[in-house]
Amino acid sequence: MYLIGEFREKDAVRAAIRMLRETGVRPSELDLFSEEPVEFPRGVLDRPSRMSLVSVLGAMAFGSLATAFIYWTQHNYRLVTGGMPLFSFWATGVITFEMTMLGAIVATFALFLWESGLVRKRDYSAPVPEVDPGAICLRVRCRAEDAPQAIAAIRRAGGHQR
Amino acid sequence: MATAPELLPYQRIREDLFRPLSGVSRNYLLATFCAFVIGAAGLVAWSYQLRRGMGVTGLQRPVFWGIYIVDFVFWIGISHAGTLISAILRLTDAAWRKPVTRAAEAITVFALMIGGMFPIIHLGRAWLFFWLLPYPNSRLLWPNFRSPLLWDLTAIVTYLTGSVIYLYLPLIPDMAQLAEHNTTWRRKFYRTLSLGWTGSDREWHALERAMKLMSCIILAVAVSVHTVVAWDFAMAIAPMWHSTIFGPYFVAGAIFSGIAALLVVMAALRKVLHLEAYLTRHHFNNLAKLLLLMSLLWLYFTLAENLTVWYGNEPKEMAVFGARTRAHYAPYFWSTVVLNFVIPFVLLGIRRLRTIRNATIAASCVLAGMWLERFVIVVPTLANPRLPAASGFYGPTWVEIAITAATFAAMAMLYMIFSKLFPIIAVWEFKPHPQEED
Amino acid sequence: MEHRWGMTIDLDRCTGCEACVVACHAENNLPVSNPEQAAQGRTAHWIRIDRYYEGEFPDVKVKYMPVLCQQCDNAPCEPVCPVYATYHNPEGLNVQVYNRCVGTFYCANNCPYTVRYFNWFAPEWPEPLQLQHNPDVAVRMSGVMEKCTFCIQRIKRGKEDAAQEGRRLADGEVQPACVQSCPAEAMVFGDLNDPESKVSRLAQSGRATRLLEELGTKPKVIYLQKVK
Repeated sequence: MYLIGEFREKDAVRAAIRMLRETGVRPSELDLFSEEPVEFPRGVLDRPSRMSLVSVLGAMAFGSLATAFIYWTQHNYRLVTGGMPLFSFWATGVITFEMTMLGAIVATFALFLWESGLVRKRDYSAPVPEVDPGAICLRVRCRAEDAPQAIAAIRRAGGHQR
Repeated sequence: MATAPELLPYQRIREDLFRPLSGVSRNYLLATFCAFVIGAAGLVAWSYQLRRGMGVTGLQRPVFWGIYIVDFVFWIGISHAGTLISAILRLTDAAWRKPVTRAAEAITVFALMIGGMFPIIHLGRAWLFFWLLPYPNSRLLWPNFRSPLLWDLTAIVTYLTGSVIYLYLPLIPDMAQLAEHNTTWRRKFYRTLSLGWTGSDREWHALERAMKLMSCIILAVAVSVHTVVAWDFAMAIAPMWHSTIFGPYFVAGAIFSGIAALLVVMAALRKVLHLEAYLTRHHFNNLAKLLLLMSLLWLYFTLAENLTVWYGNEPKEMAVFGARTRAHYAPYFWSTVVLNFVIPFVLLGIRRLRTIRNATIAASCVLAGMWLERFVIVVPTLANPRLPAASGFYGPTWVEIAITAATFAAMAMLYMIFSKLFPIIAVWEFKPHPQEED
Repeated sequence: MEHRWGMTIDLDRCTGCEACVVACHAENNLPVSNPEQAAQGRTAHWIRIDRYYEGEFPDVKVKYMPVLCQQCDNAPCEPVCPVYATYHNPEGLNVQVYNRCVGTFYCANNCPYTVRYFNWFAPEWPEPLQLQHNPDVAVRMSGVMEKCTFCIQRIKRGKEDAAQEGRRLADGEVQPACVQSCPAEAMVFGDLNDPESKVSRLAQSGRATRLLEELGTKPKVIYLQKVK
């Protein structure tokens, strides 16, 4: 089942998360809802991300694909221009760079959509609280028997249950 | 000093920033109508050009590139507004950028869209523009990737994609909010575009990470885009085009004109949307100082380029240099010096004169000056080719002027539509974090 | 061995009569221009006579220089065309493919000799000149770039005729219209790969110069003039 606690202060949320984690609640079962991003120091509620890595990989993929494509087309349709060689890496350099950047952009956006959960299959049974401005809502997924413990943790940290 | 917006209650901020989205005033309708008329005139001019041929322009041998290319470089230059403000200031965590980022990013996207039209408009057979794209065809032809025009194409496509995403990402949380505050078709519109954003911390983390990455990427792309546009000229062996300074020169000029455009747009928004509490003297002061810095940088580059040509005294280059500074194009060249340096230096350099109104005036002068500067780069070189017997001259016709005016109208129209659909200041970035020191 | 077409123009013989210009117009279906177009710089003369005046009155000397596409081996116009409308063919000619041109004008901007011409409008001929079109040469549409082709249609016809007869082209058998029409016989056209051809021998002469040679475009039009 899902529990929602409402807090007015960031430190209260932090305390609540700490207490809940001490009772065995995992970070994947916790969700914060707010109208602006809430920053915590490392270790409180980390969401591991692969965005940088995928971005770099996407960039390299696009860049090398584009250069290989150009190499292939310039040999496929062999026309001599200006007495220059058929394929020159530096003449293609600009396109290599731009396509590398485009790969990074596309990969970043794709990972954003994925990691934010916006395009993943949603669990529609999980309630999404309407957040008042200035408030932070903490949603906990736990078993029914653990609920009283979680509610107590929320109350002790200074929030109230919705 | 006006109340800092951070002290206003949340409700008031949201109300202020969402208010422009509801209802249209008479001035708005009038402005849209004027923009529409000018835009339509441009379309008529373009269709006339397509039917009759490029002869309806003022182009002639040897001046084969005229104000269409000037406009192209000008608009791509304007598009650097968003990049500087958003990316650099985001990366350096400058807080004063917050009310300015979305306006700047919108300028970037629209300027790119408009600027990207000109490579099509200036073509002799514009309906065949798609031959520059690599697609498999029955003639087994591919485009020539060695050409700087293909580099232009990839650079602009990349920058446009990046800018649209860069504008869209921080819009998502605002659109989610707007979905809640609206009914009927607007609610559906915002809900679809916001992809079901709930404001969970996973989403925020992903968004912030993506924005940080995009800031770095878009900065690199922006520098490369205007360098590539500059290389359209620098890669040619025409006198006074074939210069290594063109890459950095154009990037600096682009940032310069981008900041000027941003200043003008912000002044307009402040007046029209009553955002005096949000776009304060502090913001204009900072932008004005940046504009002054770029003006000095522009002067440095211009001096470096012209001094080296003059001292080198190479005959073909001196023909162009003379045309620029002493002969036929001298009025334009010296106007650019006055508009780009003298006026901004006086109005922005003297602290007492650095008011919002003067900053706007200086920025408008810079916009005009930068347009003229691009003209002075493109046309005198072409008019004075290496074989002097082939010299010529150039004067734009009504067709070119109409199309140029139409692009300004298009920019105004796109911006007006944008400001009616989305809050021009990012609401979520503006609200102070609970207990967060800024 | 492949042909490598080149041309020499003897500036000491050229009288500036412009017969070559007229012949080129007739051979290559060039549009006729009127005085307004000339004032606008919109005339198309694939070969033009540039006049240079030396000295002060009354010791003025006029130099006539026929300027046509130099068919550069390192043509600056070729790499910048985004659609391969201009490229270098195996016989050393800088070929312009009208069908492919989309009209970006980059080639014309990069040509240091300004020998490329654009079709600003659909070409027109006053009656009855439209009846004298050369059927071997395309009539270009508005929006397309064009330039001297060394009368490639004549080269092609000559090669076909020679192949039919089972022999190689003889020197001087193929002549572009300008070379054919020059009354002073100032222009010579031929195969630079053939060391015995007239053009090859003239190219070795002490009077051989090239236009804008310092740019490294390797033009194949050689100007013969007494260099003082």
